[in-house]
Amino acid sequence: MANELKFLVVDDFSTMRRIVRNLLKESGFPECDEAEDGAVALHKLRNASFDFVVSDINMPNMNGFELLKEIKADEKLKHIPVLMVTAEARKEDIVLAAQSGAAGYIVKPFTKAVLEDKVNLILTKLGLK
Amino acid sequence: MTTAAHTNSDTSQDDVHQRLGTLTRQLHDSLNGLGLTDKVKNWAGEIPDAKSRLTYIARLTGEAAEKVLNSVDQAKVHHDHIATETRRIGALIVKDPVAAVAKGHVMNFITDVEESSKEIDKNLTDIMMAQDFHDLTGQVISKVVALAANIESQLLQLLVITAPTDAVAKPAPVPVDTKPVSEPVLQGPVVNPEGNPDVVTGQSEVDDLLASLGF
Repeated sequence: MANELKFLVVDDFSTMRRIVRNLLKESGFPECDEAEDGAVALHKLRNASFDFVVSDINMPNMNGFELLKEIKADEKLKHIPVLMVTAEARKEDIVLAAQSGAAGYIVKPFTKAVLEDKVNLILTKLGLK
Repeated sequence: MTTAAHTNSDTSQDDVHQRLGTLTRQLHDSLNGLGLTDKVKNWAGEIPDAKSRLTYIARLTGEAAEKVLNSVDQAKVHHDHIATETRRIGALIVKDPVAAVAKGHVMNFITDVEESSKEIDKNLTDIMMAQDFHDLTGQVISKVVALAANIESQLLQLLVITAPTDAVAKPAPVPVDTKPVSEPVLQGPVVNPEGNPDVVTGQSEVDDLLASLGF
């Protein structure tokens, strides 16, 4: 079941998108698409079915916080868990993400084990694993 | 040198000093009049910030290169081991195929290859993870570029305002914008987290903070 889940990786750096995609694949989640900012991500989310979003925060056009707000304000999308993976290390940003409905928060640089652990924890909580 | 030449030289030096004095006074008055004194102090404060950021970039790229080279070294050891063992088991099979299987050489070889492959896969993942420096340094470089552009813009405006009145083709003065060129709300990577209570220094602190909030 878990390996059929479809992920959307959102980051303005293609290197990071590729790293996260590869890590998800190694962790047993091969179904993955990507978007270079919040606006593109939102468009994809509204036009295809996704089960999980892994998003950066600091991005052009629409940042991760704005994307999170849009997702949580959309009846059709608000059930999708959003894991923030970001270099933003201020405590107020972490608190804001949690209060805005983020399912988890990872600070860069991170390890494969941390990503795997957080994704699995969220999926378990939601009964998707 | 003649006395006349000395006199001319002294007059010229006096003239230069006087002009420099006038320019300095004009600059000082302009800075004060335009409220730029504080701005200049801010620029001076931004230079060490840029230096910290560039040091951070140098550190991250250096660490990434080290990680990659170490992982390549380790992967090569495992790869060499597989190559050596493959030649050895090949020779054993050629010599006596039945004995090679019966004595467990082939099975040991398979187990060995499986373990070495796992280690090489781990090394490859480490090499991939080391590339995250691109994202982190990219964000910091953008900030340094914005900072340099901001200082350049402000200095150009200052140059225009303080140019001598007889300067040729003096461009029209541009109103001084005291706001930075671009100052994103988000901070990006923290280059000096030590001693800063407002930021976390690692994932465990993030987890603790979220747990304290009931998440």
